Amino acid sequence: MAKRIAVVVSQGQSQNPAKRGLEEDIVAALIMEPGIDVTVIPNLYDLKPDGTGILALDGIKGNLIVMSWLYERGARWILDRNNIRGQVGQTLIKADDQDEEDDETDARDDDKERVIDQRQIPSRRIYCIDLRVHDTAQPYIDEIKRIAEENTQKLVQLGDWLQGTAKPEQLERFATPTNTTALGGNGNGKRRPVEETSEPIQPKDVIRIEETGGRRWYPVIDYSRCTNCMECIDFCLFGVYGVDRVETILVEQPDNCRKGCPACSRVCPENAIMFPQHKTPAIAGAPVGLVGLKIDLSKLFGAPDDGKTAEEIAALERDEQLVLAGRDAVGMAVGIRKRQEGKSDEPRDELDDLIDGLDELDL
Amino acid sequence: MKEPDILTFMMGEFAASFPTDRHYAKNHMWGMKRDDGVCRFGFTAYAVRLLQDVYFLEWAVEEGTLLKEKQELGAIESKKAESALYSPMAGRLVQLNEALLSDPSTINVDKYDGGWLFDIEGNGDNLLSPDEYIHHLEAVWDVTQRTIKGQLNE
Repeated sequence: MAKRIAVVVSQGQSQNPAKRGLEEDIVAALIMEPGIDVTVIPNLYDLKPDGTGILALDGIKGNLIVMSWLYERGARWILDRNNIRGQVGQTLIKADDQDEEDDETDARDDDKERVIDQRQIPSRRIYCIDLRVHDTAQPYIDEIKRIAEENTQKLVQLGDWLQGTAKPEQLERFATPTNTTALGGNGNGKRRPVEETSEPIQPKDVIRIEETGGRRWYPVIDYSRCTNCMECIDFCLFGVYGVDRVETILVEQPDNCRKGCPACSRVCPENAIMFPQHKTPAIAGAPVGLVGLKIDLSKLFGAPDDGKTAEEIAALERDEQLVLAGRDAVGMAVGIRKRQEGKSDEPRDELDDLIDGLDELDL
Repeated sequence: MKEPDILTFMMGEFAASFPTDRHYAKNHMWGMKRDDGVCRFGFTAYAVRLLQDVYFLEWAVEEGTLLKEKQELGAIESKKAESALYSPMAGRLVQLNEALLSDPSTINVDKYDGGWLFDIEGNGDNLLSPDEYIHHLEAVWDVTQRTIKGQLNE
C-alpha cells in the first residue's frame, strides 16, 4: 500500500539562474519517484489569498513538504496565515551553523502562554525545507525520500496498533482526516469542506501553478512565539493589524503594509513578527544564532551606521513611511510601550530612565 | 567624441576603473549630470566588483518621488551579496531603468552606460569629483574588507 506525499516547490522571487536550476533539478528527479506528487508554485509569500496557488495548496490534505527560498519558520507561518496547517515535520536539512537545539529551546522555554497553545492543529505533518542550505538537488531528494519513508512507516505502525487489517480507504482516511473538527477552532480560520480523494498510484505530471501579480510585502506572525501582547497593533499606524473574533492579533490588511518597512518586527518583544523577504536574517525568520547566507553590503552602500536601539530604528522607519504617505512623523511618541522589567535583555538606556523618572513624579 | 580618461583603484589584485567624465557618490554610484538638472546614476566598478553577478534588483520607490539623500530606494541581490540601496543625492526621482528589472545583468556588463540605475533631478552639490572619489575609496577600502571578512568569518 503506497501512501502519497505532496511536494510543493515554491520558486524564488529573483531571476536567479542558480535558483531556477536547483528547483528544476529537484522537480526532474522527483518525477521518477513513485508516491510523490509535485506542484510548482510561484514564491509562496507572494501568492494571493484567493489565487490558484493557495487553492492548490489548500487542496492538499495529507502530509506536505514545502520547499522554498525562505527560512523554515517563514514558510510555515505564511502557510498558517492561509489556513494551511499541520504538525511541524522535522527535517534534517539545516544550515551548518544552525544548532539543533535552537528548534527545541526556541523562545518557548518559559511558561508564557502563546497563541498557538489555544489552537487545534490538524494531525497531518508539514515539512518546510529551506532551499538555500544546499547548492545541489541530491541532498533534497534524499531528504524527501526519507520523509516519504518516515510517513509510510508511521502508517504501518499505527495500523498494527489498531489491530486487524485496515482497508486502503480507511488508512487514507486515517492519514487525512475528513472530519472538519480537526480544523478551525482558532476563531479566524475559514472552515473549508474536505473532499475524499482516491489518488492513482502511478506517477502524475508535475502541476505547475502560475500567478500574475508582483511581489507583496506584509508581516507574517509566528503564533508559536506570539503572546497576543498587542504591541504591534499599537505601533503600526497603517492599519495592518487587527483582531479576530476571539481577540487574537492577526494581519488583517496585509496590503496596507508599507513596502520595505519592517518596523513592527523590531518592536515585537517576542520576535514573533517576520518579514520573510527582509535582508536581515533575524527579521526574515532565521533561527536564533543563524547568520545571513549572503554578505550584507548595506553599510558600505550608504546605510546609516549608528548605535540606535531597535525601537528607535523602528520609529525612524515608521516616520519615513508616514512622511512618504503624506502624514506627520510621530517619532517615539506613539505606540511604543515602556519596556517592562525583566522583559528585555538590553541594558537600560536614557529613554528608560526618562520614562521611569516621569512615573516617579506623583502628578 | 573622445573616450574619457580613466582613473583606477586597486582592490587587491583587481583594478577598478573610473571614467573622469562624471561625478561620484560616496555610496559607490557614479552620477552623470546633464544640462537640464537631471543626474543619471549607476554603480561604480567598485560596487560591481563587490556585488559580482547581479541577479535581482527591486525598487521600493516610484518615479516622481521626492527623495532625501540616503533615503532607502530598494534592494539588490547578487550571487555573493545583498544590499539595500540608498539615494546618492536629494531630488526628484525622474526615472528608473526599467530594463534592469527583467535583466539586471546589464549592471555587470555595461555598468557605466546601459546599466544605469535611475535619474534624479536636483543640484547634486554633494557629489564628488573623480579624484575625490578615489581618495574616498582609499579611506574606505580597509573598512570594506573588514566588513566582508567579518561577515564571512562569523
